Amino acid sequence: MLCRHCVSRREFLGDVGQGLAGIALAQLLGAGTPSAAQNRTHHPAKAKRVLQIFCPGGCSHIDTFEHKPALEKWHGKPLPGEESFVSFQGKNGNLMKSPWTFVPSGESGKKISELLPHLGKLADDMAFIHSMTSKTNTHGPACVMMNTGFVVEGFPSAGAWTSYALGSENDNLPTYVTIPDVRGIPPAGPANWGAGFLPAEHQAIVFNAAEGIRNLERPASVSAEAEEATRKFLGLMNRRHAEAHPGNPELTARIASYELAARMQLSAPEAADLSQETAATHRLYGTEDPNPLQAAYARNCLLARRLIERDVRFVTLYCGSRASGVDGLLNWDAHKTLQADYERHCPILDRPTAGLIKDLRSRGLLDDTLVLWTTEFGRMPTHQDGTLGRDHNPDGFTVWMLGAGVKGGVSYGATDEFGRKAVENVSTIYDFYATVLHLLGLDHQQLTYYHNGIERRLTDVHGHVIQEIVDTPA
Amino acid sequence: MKSPSQALLVFVSMLTAATAGAQGPEEAETAALELIQNKCLVCHNSEARTSGLDLATLDGALAGGAHGPALVPGDADQSPLYGKIAAGEMPLGNPLPRKEHDIVRRWINAGAPWPRALTQGEKRSRDGPDWWSLQPLSESDPPALQNAPESWQSPIDRFIHAEMEQKGLAPSPPADRATLIRRASFDLTGLPPTPEEIDAFVNDPSENAYERLLDRLLASKHYGERWGRHWLDVVRFGESHGYEQNHLRNNAWPFRDYVIRSFNDDKPFDQMVLEHLAGDQVANGNPDVEVATAFLVAGPHDTVGIDNIEGQLQKRANDLNDIITATSGAFLGLTVHCARCHDHKFDPIQQADYYRMQSIFEGVHFDQRAVAKTEQIQKRERLIRPIEEALERTDKELQALSEQAEPLIEQQKPSIVARYRPPVDAKGTEEAFEPVEARFVRMRISGTYRGTPRLDELEVWTSGPKPRNAALASAGGKASAASTRKADDDPKAYSVDHVIDGDFAKRWISNDPDRGEVTVELARPETISRIFWSRDRLGGFQKTFLGGVPTEYVVETSLDGKSWRKAADTEDRLPYTEAEQDELILMTVLDADGRRRRQSLLQRKKKLQAELDAIPKLPTVYAGRFEQPEDPTRLFERGNPMNKGEAIAPGGLSTLENIFPRFELGFEAPEGERRLALARWITDDRNPLTPRVLANRVWHYHFGRGLAGTPSDFGYNGERPTHPELLDWLAQRVLTYGWRLKPLHKEIMMSAAYRQSSRYDIDAANIDREARYLWRFPPRRLEAEAIRDAILAVSGKLDPTMGGPGFRLYKYTVDNVATYYPRQEFDEATFRRSVYHQAARSVKVDLLGQYDCPDSALPAPKREVSTSPLQALSLLNNPFMLQQAVFFAERLSGEAREPQDQVHRAYRLAFGRAPTPEEQAAAVDLIGQQGLPIFCRAIFNANEFLYVM
Repeated sequence: MLCRHCVSRREFLGDVGQGLAGIALAQLLGAGTPSAAQNRTHHPAKAKRVLQIFCPGGCSHIDTFEHKPALEKWHGKPLPGEESFVSFQGKNGNLMKSPWTFVPSGESGKKISELLPHLGKLADDMAFIHSMTSKTNTHGPACVMMNTGFVVEGFPSAGAWTSYALGSENDNLPTYVTIPDVRGIPPAGPANWGAGFLPAEHQAIVFNAAEGIRNLERPASVSAEAEEATRKFLGLMNRRHAEAHPGNPELTARIASYELAARMQLSAPEAADLSQETAATHRLYGTEDPNPLQAAYARNCLLARRLIERDVRFVTLYCGSRASGVDGLLNWDAHKTLQADYERHCPILDRPTAGLIKDLRSRGLLDDTLVLWTTEFGRMPTHQDGTLGRDHNPDGFTVWMLGAGVKGGVSYGATDEFGRKAVENVSTIYDFYATVLHLLGLDHQQLTYYHNGIERRLTDVHGHVIQEIVDTPA
Repeated sequence: MKSPSQALLVFVSMLTAATAGAQGPEEAETAALELIQNKCLVCHNSEARTSGLDLATLDGALAGGAHGPALVPGDADQSPLYGKIAAGEMPLGNPLPRKEHDIVRRWINAGAPWPRALTQGEKRSRDGPDWWSLQPLSESDPPALQNAPESWQSPIDRFIHAEMEQKGLAPSPPADRATLIRRASFDLTGLPPTPEEIDAFVNDPSENAYERLLDRLLASKHYGERWGRHWLDVVRFGESHGYEQNHLRNNAWPFRDYVIRSFNDDKPFDQMVLEHLAGDQVANGNPDVEVATAFLVAGPHDTVGIDNIEGQLQKRANDLNDIITATSGAFLGLTVHCARCHDHKFDPIQQADYYRMQSIFEGVHFDQRAVAKTEQIQKRERLIRPIEEALERTDKELQALSEQAEPLIEQQKPSIVARYRPPVDAKGTEEAFEPVEARFVRMRISGTYRGTPRLDELEVWTSGPKPRNAALASAGGKASAASTRKADDDPKAYSVDHVIDGDFAKRWISNDPDRGEVTVELARPETISRIFWSRDRLGGFQKTFLGGVPTEYVVETSLDGKSWRKAADTEDRLPYTEAEQDELILMTVLDADGRRRRQSLLQRKKKLQAELDAIPKLPTVYAGRFEQPEDPTRLFERGNPMNKGEAIAPGGLSTLENIFPRFELGFEAPEGERRLALARWITDDRNPLTPRVLANRVWHYHFGRGLAGTPSDFGYNGERPTHPELLDWLAQRVLTYGWRLKPLHKEIMMSAAYRQSSRYDIDAANIDREARYLWRFPPRRLEAEAIRDAILAVSGKLDPTMGGPGFRLYKYTVDNVATYYPRQEFDEATFRRSVYHQAARSVKVDLLGQYDCPDSALPAPKREVSTSPLQALSLLNNPFMLQQAVFFAERLSGEAREPQDQVHRAYRLAFGRAPTPEEQAAAVDLIGQQGLPIFCRAIFNANEFLYVM
């Protein structure tokens, strides 16, 4: 059980204080060995690690993964019961059909937008949740909500909780990595991958294929020889200090953190070195695509796979950034010009993401990696008054997952005939993360941390595991 | 809905009362079992069986768990159940008061009668009004001691020593003076002592050397910077709005200065509370004090506008929740925010209490307001009043004039409109002209509708039977612009190339707010006869929403790019907006006299407006804007603002009603009075929470841990104090000292408990690993700010300038939303103390972010201390560190010639001691081979530099 009644890290370190030599350094830093990690789960895990793909801005469910034929029939007519409904950015116009055809995909024949042909081919692997809901229709809070379960900032993200619960399985790389889009960071920025009130070590380390980890590289003004001499001297100082002050395991942990940093200096650039991949792999992802944004995202996808392969526990991969001066230009926020916006964004997402998933599968990584696809909220089935775009809609939208422990080809829940509101098996972000934690071997009600009067949880005081999408071996 | 919960409170209080007053064997049995039920079953119940132990039944206790049987009936000393409780190890993090140990002891020694299975229910795991922190301050005298060393005789030491004796612990010897001055300097000022200060103290033969050291440090201006920073954590002070846009608040810093000033002046804390909550009420017209209300709005606030009502109400509710959370946590140590949706699950706080507080803050809005001296306000008022009156008169005259002209307008409008070409259309406007041969076409924009000029396409059409758009890049066209806005994260986002790419979704944006110029160079000279431009070809925008539309421009052509001829302009077009069109028509229908009159009136208006603008505005501070609420506050059922329940009047919390009456104001009470009333209730001498919470905070920062381990939560979920009597004694001292902190600091720091060494003792550690009972001084790592400040102090570059706008460790850019780029170069403006950093929310700057600096989205009553490789990387490789290592090296070469002297000086500056011969040799060796800066970089990375012992 993980809770404040349990032994804190400091106490744990105190326990081993006298016999420190026998303890693996990584363990001192909260990065347990695989067997130690398994002991920290509440029940046997199906997934060891998580890859979360995130489309900020609010991806329209009814133009991508949830087909609504009624919109064709009702196109141009008022939304029954909500004529001139006011949503986030103002008044809504009439219903607007999706500009794109939906194509039967996979053996299940799941209808997926023609804009996503490559992802469509993977429909049989995916478990769609078409009845997701959010508590807010505003970008910043919604992005933070999807990542942390709270609309206000300052709470730990799912990745931070996972790092806190399970630690690392890799002694040389970070436990939790966020890969921002080359266009920039998502709405509310670092609040999406912060540790909140958990210790800072659980925050994500941020880098992508274009820009590496901050401060990782030895500066040019320090030669390799000087670095070596520095470490030696530092070792001497710290050893002497630790000997003069026994019984302070934090001192030893800090010495270990320098050793991990040195290993990370070697491993992280190696992990990020995409030139080690074959030409065929590069083609699979489309890293040489003439569209520079698509190529950049493809490289981030490839980086994500290399991190997952190296046992990084939680990777969040963004496709799109924060809002810009122009709605819908840098992310999925298609207020005014849906068609132009999604014809720009969908190809960026489609082929590289599909390539990533196929690659994970062919390397056997999907057996113990859980892949999530999430966004802030969906969009209205109407057009926004005076525009050809759609406004924010937190009342019903689609997310999906696939991989370890997930039943493929399942569509769970649904919105009404127009896609306006979730009506069948209405789901919450708490349900979503209860399920994610469940697959990681964790009980979302037991994973707690005390802060300001409350044993906090990723799922607040809510959440049910969505058993319908969990794969239970017969 | 009130009665069941009240009944529950009564029930719980009866139970606990029985526990406290247990006398006879039966009462002892009941009390002991209830204690187990309430305190142990949370973990050791039949389901959870933590450590294999189930304390629901006698059998379970006898069978025991992973560590063997828990209970030996008749022998408390052999029963771990008692032993763990008596040692304060159980309940974990929540040790029981001594009198409850005795209840368990007597019960076990009486044979541990256990007639029934215990069940854990919700009602057992919460507290009533008799919870420890809700009692009046006790007046216990420090215990008399037999075995304490002579130096342990101060009241504080007697309390501490008594608990230690109980636990079988003994204090550590006093720390040496060098250690002590380093500890005290960091503690009170956040800076290391200089070698000279160390020498002076170490060699001071006088008996009161230490006391004088404390006096000096408490009088230092740096004291307020250090302890002010602590307080800014507690009140979640940040200097940006947070959320998606996260724009900076550039006028929030006066609050930071107020806090520092107040700590330095040793302003009574009760006064500070009044000022935080109602500075505008108690010090109106005194800006230095009035800015304290910035506390109310120091938290994050979403600045994105929401059009739907649910969203607006929810956002407002979240704002108020932030104020309630901050206020109840900072001053009362209560988690009132837990009662937003229902009565508090653990503490006696009703849902109505939450809404009583909401009602108090209902008039507070996240905004800036003018804060100025009374004379300043009056002076400005005197200056602007006549101008505003003149403006009003002018407007009336203008109005009368247009009303007179209305019949004429009606009559002539169609014919006037017919004289002009239609207004420009953002979806596409054509300018046709006589065919002309041209290689260059340019559009010079001198006026727009709403903001910076933008174009999504500029087409240049050839004349003749098969017209072509010769401007297209695909046709060999090239575009250039006088200026182009650049987005930091995507330099090509607004490139002028977008006007000739045939793609209407992308646009060029000028970098000049009022004008812009786009030139298209054709592949070869062509005969052209029209251009066609658009700002929103896709038609995604409503007209009034769409800004940046070019409305005044000239189109010119050229063959050589040097001499230009005009092809078209907007002179003969109707103006873009209806208001401008109306003005044109009005001016046309007026006779000469009327026109002159209108013109002169308009001119006068313009002049008056300019005069008004020329009068300096009052300074504004992000200290909240206050507005009398229109409607009574209503309780939100289940916390949902769309679900309004009963009306709730502003008032104090029912939580302390047993001790002293709560206040209640009328629904119409002026909003300022509401805040003032709450402040008075919080600082009422009968309110035990405020001084207790304050005393505990002070203790927390001195020892790294409060007597109660959760400084902003004195409720059931918080940790109970290790030394409740001492805590109350300290709280009494707060009142004795008239709420001044400096005497309290001194009293705590003069104690032997504070002055003892941090030496390690295995036996003591086995009993009390974290030294909660203070058998040694708990060593700890410096906080992020102290690390950075110490680096600057040691390198010799610390700029001690106090106050004023902060510096930034990031580059700040805004394009709708704010983006923060970490700086790579650091100039002297950034060498001030870290408390003056303009800390933007959720922006983790190097060093500060990695070393657990809170991001101020939520209150941070205590900081986490984490260890990660990123910390190592930032201290080793960040450009700031390399720069400071060079400065440190320069300083050393200036202050000592020989390497061994430089090493000596470096150790004294950084660690406050001389190097050992072995260290000296290694360091001289390193300097000889790699140079001084490399050595200095290593010093900054040493554990000894970052830890206070």
